[in-house]
Amino acid sequence: MNDHAPRAAAAAGPPPVILLRGITKHYRLGNSDIPALRGVDLCVPQGAFVAVRGPSGSGKSTLLNVCGLIDSFDAGSYSMSGTDVAGLDERARTLLRRERIGFIFQSYNLVPVMSVADNVDYPLRLLGVAPGARRLRVERMLERVGLSGSGARRPDMLSGGQRQRVAIARALVKTPALVIADEPTANLDSATATQIIALMRELGREHGATFLIATHDERMTTQCDQVLTLTDGVLQ
Amino acid sequence: MKALALAWHNVLRNRRRSVVTILIATLGTASMLVAGGFTLYTYDSLREGAARDFGHLTVSHPEFFRRDEEMPLQYGMDGHVALKQRLEAHAHVKRVLPRVNLSGLVSNGEKSMIFMGSGADIAGEAAMRGQFLTLVSGSMPGAGARVPEVLLGVDLARGLSAAPGSVLTLLATTSAGAMNGVDVRVTGTVTTGWHDVDQRLVYLGIDTAQYLLATDKVSTLAVFLDATDATPAVLAELASADPAHGYKPWWEQAFYYQSVRALYNRIFGLLGIVIALLVFFSVSNTLAMAVVERTREIGTLRALGALPGELVAGFVREGALIGLLGSALGMLLAGAVSLSLRHAGLEMPAPPGRTVGYPLYVHADPWLYAACTAAIVALCACAAWLASRKAARLPIVQALAHT
Ligand SMILES: Nc1ncnc2c1ncn2[C@@H]1O[C@H](COP(=O)(O)OP(=O)(O)OP(=O)(O)O)[C@@H](O)[C@H]1O
Ligand SMILES: [Mg+2]
Repeated sequence: MNDHAPRAAAAAGPPPVILLRGITKHYRLGNSDIPALRGVDLCVPQGAFVAVRGPSGSGKSTLLNVCGLIDSFDAGSYSMSGTDVAGLDERARTLLRRERIGFIFQSYNLVPVMSVADNVDYPLRLLGVAPGARRLRVERMLERVGLSGSGARRPDMLSGGQRQRVAIARALVKTPALVIADEPTANLDSATATQIIALMRELGREHGATFLIATHDERMTTQCDQVLTLTDGVLQ
Repeated sequence: MKALALAWHNVLRNRRRSVVTILIATLGTASMLVAGGFTLYTYDSLREGAARDFGHLTVSHPEFFRRDEEMPLQYGMDGHVALKQRLEAHAHVKRVLPRVNLSGLVSNGEKSMIFMGSGADIAGEAAMRGQFLTLVSGSMPGAGARVPEVLLGVDLARGLSAAPGSVLTLLATTSAGAMNGVDVRVTGTVTTGWHDVDQRLVYLGIDTAQYLLATDKVSTLAVFLDATDATPAVLAELASADPAHGYKPWWEQAFYYQSVRALYNRIFGLLGIVIALLVFFSVSNTLAMAVVERTREIGTLRALGALPGELVAGFVREGALIGLLGSALGMLLAGAVSLSLRHAGLEMPAPPGRTVGYPLYVHADPWLYAACTAAIVALCACAAWLASRKAARLPIVQALAHT
């Protein structure tokens, strides 16, 4: 397949979900050149629960965006579960995200005109899952995040914690290989944040999903398999 | 189904803005339908009018329409009585009326004026054409009068100071080239609605006309059918069966109809384009605002794996829905307008060259309604496509950062 696959396979059975080699990315602002990532190497095995921390502006979001295939990088290589993604065009990257990547955002980003159930259903509709199977999976997923009675409600009727639960359900309903969560608890009070972290951890394990989480939250780091620290675009 | 429901919810997202847009589409559709319906009504009535006046078909000597006559009835028809009988045997033919065209001088003894005469079966013409002449004074000629009776155009009557009961002399050249005259009595004055015609018009019996021209020929036979739509088929059938005569359908003589139609097509075509542009820009504007407001949502859905085209399709459905609602309301509005006009009895002012107006009606034609709805929906969908296709291709990170 590609040159990383044999090495990864030799190391630990299935290839790592994320394998970055020498990733660099610059933002161009007018004439100045802002380096956001400077030669990042990263290997995240399947099912890992990984936090990325670091000061503001250190490049956490940039790293997550690159890993989540919603942003490009300037140099280096990225092999996702053994697939080299550097050569993929926009359409192929979109279809890869559709199939394998879930997103949890800081401010939930639910679609306000869709019911809770429709929000969770959306990724399955994109995948073309049959309606009957979809209904079942959405129901089960809402039950797992503790919102089984709320499927018909609109997101704006829910609290922040409940909305983030919906977002977690939406991210996991398609059993993705990778979930990208950029500061998922930053908008929540501390008790709710603790619950949300626990829920992500638990469901991540259940679904065998790999989590890559950018966070400032100390509670998060105690729950993680691996905590990475990013400073000025360099992983420590 | 789900996709449509979502489009509907998105339309409801900013109600006030959507309502205004839908109303613009409604007014656009309604004005297209009313203008179009009025045009169709005008075409229809002009067409029926022309077909009624000329007769659906005009049968003549083959040279009649090709050349100017040097002598009266040089290209007139012999044996028209037998031809009339033969034509009237056709299933679609209701009636055949002979007509003699003539011109000459009409005199009251002191003053002479030029007249253009129509020798015709006046009772028969009235039976076929309804009220083709409007009686201004006096009465229609009766049968069996001792002195031949005529109708005068109002303006000609005024010029000759003639009134019902006046006796005038008609002078004309016979078909052999001699001068001939006949005394006639005016029974009434009439108007055709055309000032130019009313200045010269003399309606007289076919016998009187033939007597004046010293002939038993007629100029043409006007063939009246049971339906205007049957004209092309009957024309083809009769013309091929009778190569000895010329057959001309009404539309080849209805120059007024043709020119009004060309004029209205231009006017209402332009109006349609203006309305379409108005609706288009209004819907574009609404959806452009909606797209900007939903930029972050677009970024989110792109991250979740939606292709730009799938998001654009959502906006197109939204635009089409706005168009559909707008045109549905517009149809109701236009329908109400045509219905109320039918009862209001409003008159349009007289068109150029005519002296009488005509009723303001608006046809509610299903094809017109279907075409307008399709056009409005397509326009709105197209506006939505244009408004959303750029945002759907924005870099995802940039769309997500949009506030
Ligand atoms: N669109 C952009 N244009 C220009 N510079 C950018 C852009 N996005 C990020 N940067 C810069 O890249 C660097 C890394 O930004 P990034 O958002 O990845 O940091 P972060 O660790 O996520 O910060 P925070 O903790 O505040 O979210 C910063 O210096 C930032 O100013
Ligand atoms: Mg960040």
